[in-house]
Amino acid sequence: MEEIKTFKDLTREVVEKQICGKCGGCVSFCSAGELNALEMGENDLPRYINEDRCLKCGICYLICPQTDTLNVELREKFGWKQPIGNFQRITSAQTTNKKVKKICTDGGVVTSLLLYLLDHNLINGAVVSKKTGRFARKAVIARTTGELIEAAGSTFSGSLHLEELGGKYTTYTPILSTVKSLEKKYLRDIAVVGTPCQINAIRKMQCLGIIPAHLIKYTIGLFCIENFSFDDVARERLEKKLDINMEDIVKLNIKDDFIITLTKGVAIHVPLEEIDEVARQACFACQDFSNEYADISVGGLGSPDGYTTILMRTELGASVYDEALRKGYIQERTFEDAEESKLEKTKMLAKVVSFSRRKKMRAKERLSELAGGEAVGGKA
Amino acid sequence: MEEKPKAVLVIGGGIAGIQAALDLGDMGIKVHLVERKPSIGGRMAQLDKTFPTNDCSICILAPKLADCFRHPNITLHTLSEVKDVTGQVGDFSVKLRKYARFVDEKKCVNCGDCAAKCPVKVPDEFDMRLRKREAIYPYYLQGVPAVMAIDRENCLYLTRGVCRICEKFCTREAIDFEQKDTDITLHVGAIIVATGFDPYDPSGIPQYGYKRYRNVIVSLEYERLICASGPTGGHLLRLSDNKPAEKIAFVQCVGSRDLKNNRYCSSVCCMHATKEAMLAYEHNPKVKSYIFYMDLRAAGKGFQEYIARGEREYNISYVRGRVAKITEDHDENPIIWYEETQSSKTKKTTVDLTVLATSLMPRRGVQELAKVLGVELDEYNFFETDPLNPLDTTRPGIFVCGCCREPTDIPESVAQASGASERAAETVMR
Repeated sequence: MEEIKTFKDLTREVVEKQICGKCGGCVSFCSAGELNALEMGENDLPRYINEDRCLKCGICYLICPQTDTLNVELREKFGWKQPIGNFQRITSAQTTNKKVKKICTDGGVVTSLLLYLLDHNLINGAVVSKKTGRFARKAVIARTTGELIEAAGSTFSGSLHLEELGGKYTTYTPILSTVKSLEKKYLRDIAVVGTPCQINAIRKMQCLGIIPAHLIKYTIGLFCIENFSFDDVARERLEKKLDINMEDIVKLNIKDDFIITLTKGVAIHVPLEEIDEVARQACFACQDFSNEYADISVGGLGSPDGYTTILMRTELGASVYDEALRKGYIQERTFEDAEESKLEKTKMLAKVVSFSRRKKMRAKERLSELAGGEAVGGKA
Repeated sequence: MEEKPKAVLVIGGGIAGIQAALDLGDMGIKVHLVERKPSIGGRMAQLDKTFPTNDCSICILAPKLADCFRHPNITLHTLSEVKDVTGQVGDFSVKLRKYARFVDEKKCVNCGDCAAKCPVKVPDEFDMRLRKREAIYPYYLQGVPAVMAIDRENCLYLTRGVCRICEKFCTREAIDFEQKDTDITLHVGAIIVATGFDPYDPSGIPQYGYKRYRNVIVSLEYERLICASGPTGGHLLRLSDNKPAEKIAFVQCVGSRDLKNNRYCSSVCCMHATKEAMLAYEHNPKVKSYIFYMDLRAAGKGFQEYIARGEREYNISYVRGRVAKITEDHDENPIIWYEETQSSKTKKTTVDLTVLATSLMPRRGVQELAKVLGVELDEYNFFETDPLNPLDTTRPGIFVCGCCREPTDIPESVAQASGASERAAETVMR
């Protein structure tokens, strides 16, 4: 029989190659099952707490977004197709909720979709990330409208891609473990807002039908070009390069380029390549910009200020969007006529596709670099 | 000359099959009781209470399960299916496929350590998919044999070659992934078929909104919800918001007496709706129930009085009229639209929860079984019988009892089982 690949293989094939996205999938599974062999260690990378506890079940290896055993199955299950995965429609919308509008930097669509789900008892809670400091974020389960709006302020703006700024990515893990403990309180369905790697890990868990992903009913995926990890050295370097003080940053956003809004409303546009140096290494090996396996994918890219671009992917995602629209939680961007609508949507899609291509190309280069470094005669 | 076998095969481990097996066993006849599921008990095990006495269903069933298990003349074959039958009355040869349980029945003590660690979560069939279970699981809490089974469709080791976590936590070393499906041959003189029923899926009547409206459920879901060992611990909570249901509509004849679905009467629904309404009231005296019926059929012993008692003591209103459609309001409260035939007026009423009394239909797969057995089915796929030999199928030596014959309540199923066992005994003792 074929040898089961375990966390040791994961360490060698993913963590040591610096392509671990720190999504926490492996650790969340291991701790949700109370196997407790893994933890998020230094630099938020997964590691053994105690190797003796590892049962060598091989599940952490399967659910990792950077391993490919389940990829074919995942693609089939979600009807994946070129170039950005399956989707039914693309559109641009914004929230109708004044409170949400006020605190959201862009369309506020994610918050409004979650409000719709909560108000209609379709979920018992939503896993969202909440700002706890200027560059610190913590994942929480919002179970009421109040909790959701409180978390929304800094979270579901147009700066969706920069969710995890501050490197508090590990907080993803305790969330999924929290979900496990809440199950006993008749918590049935939850929604998760996540980056492509997080959603990918969730989908792989769902392919296997395992905890804690069995509680996740809805996935809202964020567009993601890369995430940033700031340590003090990188921060200083970036401040110097851009000639800004981090303390003055009000909002970060990615549209065609990287937009830094400072106090007093000054906006600096920086080409994406310029900030690559502070991006997390793993993100360069990731091929998914548009969150190809989410129910609904969202991001600022392609929409004017104050609006969110939305890709409805699954039937479930489309029905949530349609119902939220029908019940007045969101409103669609209006166009002069059908022709303009068609044109604008084509432009939106083109942008998403071009960013996706860029990310895929970059990942291919990165992965072949890694392969070349290991295998003799590997392609450069 | 070889002596003819003095043994009987009973197909189906529900109340009818169990009773037939016990009666035969007590007569000194060897019985092979075959059940497709991991444990015997059948539909009766899923019910909370039974009419017309409101006895706890599992409490009166459990002693019979235990009796079957330890009866010296009864051999249980769970996770098994009849694949082939040859021979003739008095001398049948039966090929039985025994599917691997992947758990050693002799070693497993049903402690649950394995299930506590199994990472897989799939909808639980016994609890009508209202709860999730693991891939290694007891079919239900009081199931017999009281041992775990591994669900091969969902076990990560059997499907993908990973995991084996249960094996590592089983202190009895009862997990056995080496088990294989096996075919055995049994020699019996007679066969009793007691394969029971499946409920009609009311998605076929879209105007009732089942699966579209979360507070429209079917009777068996209701039985699990109100049962203390069910997914809500016996609290009658709405699926939409977990709030207690206090105004309940029971819609009768869903799929029964219906030209587009089943033309026959399912015979047990008037009574079980009354029982279900009584139970809700016993749980919470604020409950008001409405039973929407075409005709109240209460032909059994003590049944008419049971209905009178429901009206008198349990706050039940019987409304004569077929429900036209069900809609829902903004709070997901079902709205029942109906014609009240006493006043010839169309009316509507808003309730917290609606329970559809779904028709009883033959088990899926009954056609294949009939083919294997070489017996005829009637136009609805119930086993064909004739009025003066109501427990005989169309093939000599093969008898039938319970809901696979026609929709039948528990007392009647038990009576038929005793009758069928007598017919089978007559055959093998001859």
